[in-house]
Amino acid sequence: MRRLALIASLILFVGLNAMFAQTTTITGAVTDSESGEPMPGVSVVVRGTTIGTVTNVDGNYSLSVPNDATNLLFSFVGMTTQDIVIAGNTTINVALVSEAIGVDEVVVMGYTTARKSEVTGSSVQVGGETLANMPVASVDQALQGRVAGVSISQASGTPGSAQNVRIRGRSSITAGNEPLYVINGVPMVSGDASATTSGSSMSVLASLNSSDIETITVLKDASATAAYGARGANGVIVITTKSGKSGKANINFSANYGFSNDAIDGPSVLKGVEAEELYYDAIYNTYQGNYGVPTDRSLVQDWYLTEGYNVFGDTYKNWVDDGRKEGNWEDVITNDNAPMQEYNLSASGGSDKMTYYTSVGYFNQEATVIGSEFERISGSLNLSAELTDKLTFSTNNSASHSYQDGLLETSAYFSSPRAVKYFMPSVDQPYLEDGSINIQNTSLPNPLWIAQEDIDDSKLTRIISTNSLRWATPVKGLSLSTKLSIDYQVYNYKRYRNPIRGDGDGTNGYGWQANRNRANYVFQNVANYVMQLDGGHDFDFNLIQEYQKNRLYYLEADADNFSDVGLTNLNSAGNPTTANSWFTDWSVASYLGMVHYSYQGKYIVDATYRREGSSRFAPDNRWGNFWALGGAWNLHHESFMSNLSSVVSSLKLRGSYGVTGNAEIALNQFEPLLNFDSDYAGEGASYPGVFGNEDLSWETSYSLDLGIDFGLFNNKVTGALGYYRRETKDMLLGVPLSLTTGHTDQDINVGRMENKGFEMELNVDIIRSSDFNLSIGGNLGTNDNEVLELAKDLNGEEINITSTIDRVETGHPVYGWYMPTWAGVDPDTGDETWFIDPTVDETTTTNFNEAEQVWQGGSAIPKITAGMNLHVDFKGVFLDATGYYAGGHKVYEGWHRYTNGTDLFSVSWYQGIDVLMDRWQQPGDEARFGKIEYTARPWQRHSKFLYDGDYFRLRDMTIGYDFNSRVTDAIGIGALRVYVRGTNLYTWVKDENLKYDPEVDTDGETGMATPPIKSFIFGVNLKF
Amino acid sequence: MRVLNILNRIAVVAVFMFAINACTTDDLDPSLEQNKRIDGGITSVDNVYAIIKGGYSRMTSSGYYGRDYIINNEVRSDNCFSNGNSGRFTTQASFKYNENTGFFWDDAYRVIANANLVIEQDIPSLEGDEAYGYHLQGQAYAMRALAHFDLVKQFGQQHVGGTLGVPYVMKYKDEENLTPARNTVTECMNFIFDDLDQAYNLMSAGGSPEFLSKMAAKAIESNVAVYFEEWDRAIAAAQMVIDSDDYSVIPAADYVKHWGSDGSANSIFELAFSSTDNAGIDGLAYIYRTTGGGSYGDVQVLDVVEDIYDAGDVRAGILGWEGDMLRNIGKFPNNQGYDNVIVVRYEEVIMNLAEALVETGGDAATALNMIINERGIAAYVNPVTKDDILLERQREFIFEGHRYEDLVRMGKDIEKISIQQNFSETIPYGDPIMAWAIPKAETDANSNMVQNDGY
Repeated sequence: MRRLALIASLILFVGLNAMFAQTTTITGAVTDSESGEPMPGVSVVVRGTTIGTVTNVDGNYSLSVPNDATNLLFSFVGMTTQDIVIAGNTTINVALVSEAIGVDEVVVMGYTTARKSEVTGSSVQVGGETLANMPVASVDQALQGRVAGVSISQASGTPGSAQNVRIRGRSSITAGNEPLYVINGVPMVSGDASATTSGSSMSVLASLNSSDIETITVLKDASATAAYGARGANGVIVITTKSGKSGKANINFSANYGFSNDAIDGPSVLKGVEAEELYYDAIYNTYQGNYGVPTDRSLVQDWYLTEGYNVFGDTYKNWVDDGRKEGNWEDVITNDNAPMQEYNLSASGGSDKMTYYTSVGYFNQEATVIGSEFERISGSLNLSAELTDKLTFSTNNSASHSYQDGLLETSAYFSSPRAVKYFMPSVDQPYLEDGSINIQNTSLPNPLWIAQEDIDDSKLTRIISTNSLRWATPVKGLSLSTKLSIDYQVYNYKRYRNPIRGDGDGTNGYGWQANRNRANYVFQNVANYVMQLDGGHDFDFNLIQEYQKNRLYYLEADADNFSDVGLTNLNSAGNPTTANSWFTDWSVASYLGMVHYSYQGKYIVDATYRREGSSRFAPDNRWGNFWALGGAWNLHHESFMSNLSSVVSSLKLRGSYGVTGNAEIALNQFEPLLNFDSDYAGEGASYPGVFGNEDLSWETSYSLDLGIDFGLFNNKVTGALGYYRRETKDMLLGVPLSLTTGHTDQDINVGRMENKGFEMELNVDIIRSSDFNLSIGGNLGTNDNEVLELAKDLNGEEINITSTIDRVETGHPVYGWYMPTWAGVDPDTGDETWFIDPTVDETTTTNFNEAEQVWQGGSAIPKITAGMNLHVDFKGVFLDATGYYAGGHKVYEGWHRYTNGTDLFSVSWYQGIDVLMDRWQQPGDEARFGKIEYTARPWQRHSKFLYDGDYFRLRDMTIGYDFNSRVTDAIGIGALRVYVRGTNLYTWVKDENLKYDPEVDTDGETGMATPPIKSFIFGVNLKF
Repeated sequence: MRVLNILNRIAVVAVFMFAINACTTDDLDPSLEQNKRIDGGITSVDNVYAIIKGGYSRMTSSGYYGRDYIINNEVRSDNCFSNGNSGRFTTQASFKYNENTGFFWDDAYRVIANANLVIEQDIPSLEGDEAYGYHLQGQAYAMRALAHFDLVKQFGQQHVGGTLGVPYVMKYKDEENLTPARNTVTECMNFIFDDLDQAYNLMSAGGSPEFLSKMAAKAIESNVAVYFEEWDRAIAAAQMVIDSDDYSVIPAADYVKHWGSDGSANSIFELAFSSTDNAGIDGLAYIYRTTGGGSYGDVQVLDVVEDIYDAGDVRAGILGWEGDMLRNIGKFPNNQGYDNVIVVRYEEVIMNLAEALVETGGDAATALNMIINERGIAAYVNPVTKDDILLERQREFIFEGHRYEDLVRMGKDIEKISIQQNFSETIPYGDPIMAWAIPKAETDANSNMVQNDGY
């Protein structure tokens, strides 16, 4: 099959070369209608094709146009696109009018493009200026706050780590919820490339250089995502890289240099003297009158320091004798003002037959925690050549090498510097008297030593090459194209643990290395037919066939007992302990038909049908049908609106309904399988690994999308208002099995879930003039999630999924918070109390096991997300600001047993957070924390540690200056911009008890990961 | 007409393009390079051997004999406590576990799934040695009995005033009964005895102690019989093991030393661990000792345990000090967890015999002294009491995961005898906490499951 597809591609590349048709060359000049000055960089395209060029510095263009071409489109950012009938003319001059009259940008939808006025669904494009000069490791970071309904959470601020993106909430319970990424029209693999789950994640997207990206389009509704069939249910993010425009070479150089720190300091920990005070509390509260402990609280300290240490241990006694030296571990693990730098050099241009874009980039960012950084070197070359006037060859190539010096995170690993901040007692000392690192005498491994000796390196080399050939057939309006894309990723992971202190000291050193090669091929064949019938009936047909195959090969080995300190490769390990390799693949085949119909630009209908087969299901259930219908009505083109045209510049009603799917589950789950990755007594062994379900098939989502797009007062006010409802059916649910089966769950198509909400966007140009502009805008999205149906067991009882803090049950949001409700600290006894069942009465208990889990309202997913932006420019000085708000959700403080324990966890074994000082000491005390006791409490997860998650963040603020042409001309350059950019400069958090950064992983729990950063970046942009 | 013509030509090109490229369902067959289908994938006795080994491997998981099963029987007793060094086992040691505190329920039923897969195979239809095939099935019966026995001891209601045991699962993927209800304790006991009889009958003699054997089935039977106070059965089963002459009591001089080597003369069944296959940081050694601060070391020995040994008792050599912490130094001595874990050893069978003889009025002292004579302390004389047995079991099997079960089955309270113990007051015999909670994940998925009282 693959061979056949390749042959088909070659036939189109070579065999069809011979057939060309006649062309005419059209020339002309484009000017600004206001100033009359020539306009360089204006795009000139033959309507219905991709044949086009760009005006040169003098505003002139020359374009070979097929004889059957009817119209030329002239477009430029900020100007209204002009659609000019050729009518046999060979010279066409155009004066472009500024967007005051209406902007109709081209929206890239993945397989196709559409003018914004003719988009029937809810797709938002972020492009050009917004993405420019945004030094981020991973381009999805740039989307936060830009698009209504898109919620992005950062599980870790370690540069290069994977982000969690949710478009219109969570569509699936146990299958994937990440959107599909499409790069230059090709579906790609995204997510985490890392081989380790105990260390930093590494986003596949971090291999892309954001400055090579022209636009990012977020496809939210079925009319747009149905084209991606079984992978469209979670939304689609379409990324298009930059291409050249014919004319003089455009050389661009940018440099950024900046510093970052944690966006939020996080909770402060107990000082040694505070922990000492609480320690005496613990002794007194638990043992007063026993074991010699005084009955008078004020005498406990003296008693402990003189004799009590013989009973209770001498840790604090020794510390006091040493002069109560405070170890400040937060200082130790923080990389203050962590530098970041980025340099990009690009050139684009071309002749009328060939255009190019080429770039090189370097990005480097240190983490705000010691011992971690990210580095990327990237290059790209995009070429488009008109081989003949009928045949266009395009190629987009990018290559990058990313290196991430990661760290242990995702859990409270004792060797993780983030965990050390919250777990290492302040009585432990980072340094010895002589100033050297205190290696041995700390309760957790000293992060200074770990950062110096241990290794957690990820390296990802990625090459993407997408090549297409387009043939404008002799049939008028019909073009055929074929595309072949290869995405090859080589990933290496190296872990080393030193034998002196830390995770390798028990085995005299430990090493683990993993290698993962991924090859992802996509073949695409497209037949496009554009037909215009008399009377303004425009049709655009697309027939697409696609085959995608993903191969993944993994190889790892680990070993211990290293022969020498400082030699970190497995070569030097005496005892190999693991050798492992595996190979998996998956494939997707699809046929897609799309029809776009427009009647005089007034009435637009989109119809999409995709038939898709996936290797993840049993042969009988492999194929699924996905479809969508969309319609739009541009009211402003109607005659009855003409007397309102001074007020209403554009008004569009749109609606769509369709079916998309989701197949993001583990591979081969449909088959009952024996696994063989086990061994016993030195021989291989096997066990039943997959329960299997031969009926397994697609999870489907039914989406309704309704909206109004409007522009008022010459489009000074533009906006959109929309409603969506998406019902997921036949969910790919990992239904919990009775553990007596020897399995934990089975994937079954069962259950329904709903997501609905409103979305709004509004942009207002308050002042619009040639040297002073002021605009503000915002977007808002709501999300209301409810589980409608779940699997039932043989007795008809619903099978729920419950953890100690959340639950999946019909009638509630998915993974809604569900835990015992805290009833405060009893002022008389100092005991923590909980409601036995607050849905019944107010009875409380001090026995945690008696307290029922109850719904706490809400989940980890924000009900409201909003973005705000401001732009001001005045005579070359400009200011841009973006803010992001998320709210209506709750966040759970994940490690409170250790860090907020009113017991030995906080005062003796580990470290506590200083909020513990607000504890009960004597009858009558009103305190947030109960009495400190000399005991160790089990995990008791309850509502005291569940906080409102609402926050606002000033995501981005840039102040800059564009030097005017007198200066730039004098020094002989095209343009010069300098700016300073601040990210996350300000954060507001609603709940005062939420001390951690409010941006947490999608599970809603605060963790021990690197928090998001606050940074200042200085940049300069040069154009030649 | 013109439109039609155009459509015609499009159709021709499209058909050409798609025909050459068409993908069929077969093109979407995924690779299956690491797995085999369960149905149709088991064709030889060697395949069955791999699955029984998979069962043993599952027994070595840290949730089961790899650590938790043993440790939870030590920290809930007067042997050990959790010092919280890494925060592990404090909940269990303070008797504050609940339905969300994981224990080996899932691990044991995974073992049972492997055993059932082996038992279900039609041996004559497989390639390979038929007798060996039946020998493997015999192992599977013993494995199934042992796992259910362990489950009943921890989750059954026999000591908290109830009658429910655990579901006795006898078929892998039983579509008729995927959400089984609990069998009674008595039913479980009978099934266990039946399975052990089957095991004994199907197996051939001999075999490595790293695998279950005829004698291992009998040794386990003596354990089960003592637990359920079936004294005659206990005597008969124990006597068969002793009469086999396959095993011997570890001599006094080797008592400490033999823990450092696998397959000792007293080992009837032990689970294999090695330098390439061990529970690592989730293993026994890592939790019993800190080895200079590098490991978890939560499970510390109560200081008072030093006093349970009389002068000259070689078994006190297991104990040692790490600074001011009393530790299990001698059992599972390899700090990287490479030591095999003994599940049942000869001394336990003798102890079973002695206890049954105490109960039935036989010559318990002679039986008990088979061990005591090799321990450096004075021999017992009749009458031997039940408390003598309990004490000798503590001395002999300390840190091997028997103490909590011994105390409970003999109807004892878990006494607060030291400030170091994590619980603050004595847990009286019969307290609901003596039966572990059925996991929440089980009760969520299985509406036939009845939770134990108190959770």
